[in-house]
Amino acid sequence: MTRIAHIVRELLRNLRRNSGTALASVLSLTLLFLLFDLFWLAAGTSDRFYQDLLSGIEVEVFVDEEVADSTIASLGERLEAVEGILNAGYISREAARERLTGLVGADLLVGYDETNPLPRSFVLAVDQEYLTSERLEQVEREVEKIGGTGEVHYSRVWLAKAENTKSIFLQVGLALGALILATALVSSTNNIRLMTRARAVGFRQMQLLGAGRLFISLPFIVEGFIIGGLSAALGWAIIFYGRTKITFSRIEIVFPSQDDIILFCLVTALLGAISGYFGLRKLLKEQA
Amino acid sequence: MKEPVIELENIHMRTDRGGHVFRDLNLKVEPGQSAVIVGSSGCGKTSLAELLVGLRFADNGTVKLFGDTIRRRGRRAIRKARKRIGGVGGPFGLLPMLTVSENITLPLVIAGERQKLQRERLLRMLSEFSLLKVAGQYPENLTRVEYSLVQFARAAIANQPLIIIDEPSAGLDPKTYRRVFEFLVKVALSGRSMLILASEPVGREIPGTVTYNLVNGELA
Repeated sequence: MTRIAHIVRELLRNLRRNSGTALASVLSLTLLFLLFDLFWLAAGTSDRFYQDLLSGIEVEVFVDEEVADSTIASLGERLEAVEGILNAGYISREAARERLTGLVGADLLVGYDETNPLPRSFVLAVDQEYLTSERLEQVEREVEKIGGTGEVHYSRVWLAKAENTKSIFLQVGLALGALILATALVSSTNNIRLMTRARAVGFRQMQLLGAGRLFISLPFIVEGFIIGGLSAALGWAIIFYGRTKITFSRIEIVFPSQDDIILFCLVTALLGAISGYFGLRKLLKEQA
Repeated sequence: MKEPVIELENIHMRTDRGGHVFRDLNLKVEPGQSAVIVGSSGCGKTSLAELLVGLRFADNGTVKLFGDTIRRRGRRAIRKARKRIGGVGGPFGLLPMLTVSENITLPLVIAGERQKLQRERLLRMLSEFSLLKVAGQYPENLTRVEYSLVQFARAAIANQPLIIIDEPSAGLDPKTYRRVFEFLVKVALSGRSMLILASEPVGREIPGTVTYNLVNGELA
């Protein structure tokens, strides 16, 4: 209790005596975290966009010519039993013709009034989790094992390109995120180092009275924790304020959940606490 | 049997320029005993205080405080020893960002003592050393006498078993020194040990005190 009172007193004293530096620290970290938040929004929104695109992928399985119409229902059931397939919708020759007409117009089908060369097929609704190149190939292999099925068709090239783009975006995002957090850590550590330099004599005296490093560092660790958490919260406050002022008609911005934002603020607070520790470590080590 | 409070064995220490600070220095202070080290300015009195609190280290020899050896790499032992030492003068300055009251109670705060006890002892120290008027002041606003008295109050508040005093009369007028002297006698009578480092012989009247002369890095 005594030590907690001392820590609180020291913390308030630090903030009061170095209010300008503390404010500058909060502002610079807020701007950094704002950058991080904006990238987070961009990543979330593009991921939603990607998921929307994926949901439009149509996986089509053609039925062999030899398969009798009477066995189509059982073939559909066997397809639906494959892991990852939610539903298998049958497309008859007639339905295929109607679809094609709808896509390319009736002119291209002139001459095919009596005959219908289009094959029968199933359009598969695939579980969202299976909408990756690797897992779709797995589904494809299982489908090909079922007798009576022909070629499996979906936009392989498009999917590979989309996945590649997403992967690049993710890697850039991770690198940028790590860079921003590292910059925040360095900046915060440096601010605390600057704030404490002038107090070196006092720390030395505390050590002479038997105070440990943790006892001396704790007010600064708590200060770093508060500044880190507060800066992150301010960053999000600016984002949410901006949301009320700016509207995007074409894009729906995806915001992280409340839990994710709280977790982020806690992580940045922790980062601030670490910077508080590192800001003083060298000084206390030199004087020990 | 209780361990000696201070035990220095064959201490050798050189200055950065190669000269000797201590050569074959030996000293033993038993619990309840006090030692006065008398030596001219620059003979190594403050270095001895720094050696005991782990601010400097000997090139050869053993430094033991309360039975624990003080080594460069033994931070835990150093911290443990420092908690048991009250210091005045020399390396033991006041914390500039703390008020007089906060400076005096700091040893109790570090020891994790209850706030009630802190307040009681603080009041006693403030009145004993006539510091009530300056309790809320910062060290920069104190006179030299007040500064010294605050150091004495801080050294006394936690009843540590050893008090190191570097130049007890420095900056004190005769009247204040008389009061400080009474305090030193009281400490000696309470069974605590003292190491007094002075330029002139002091404290011969303090009970259980042995006086040594520090000359050419040796005690005589």
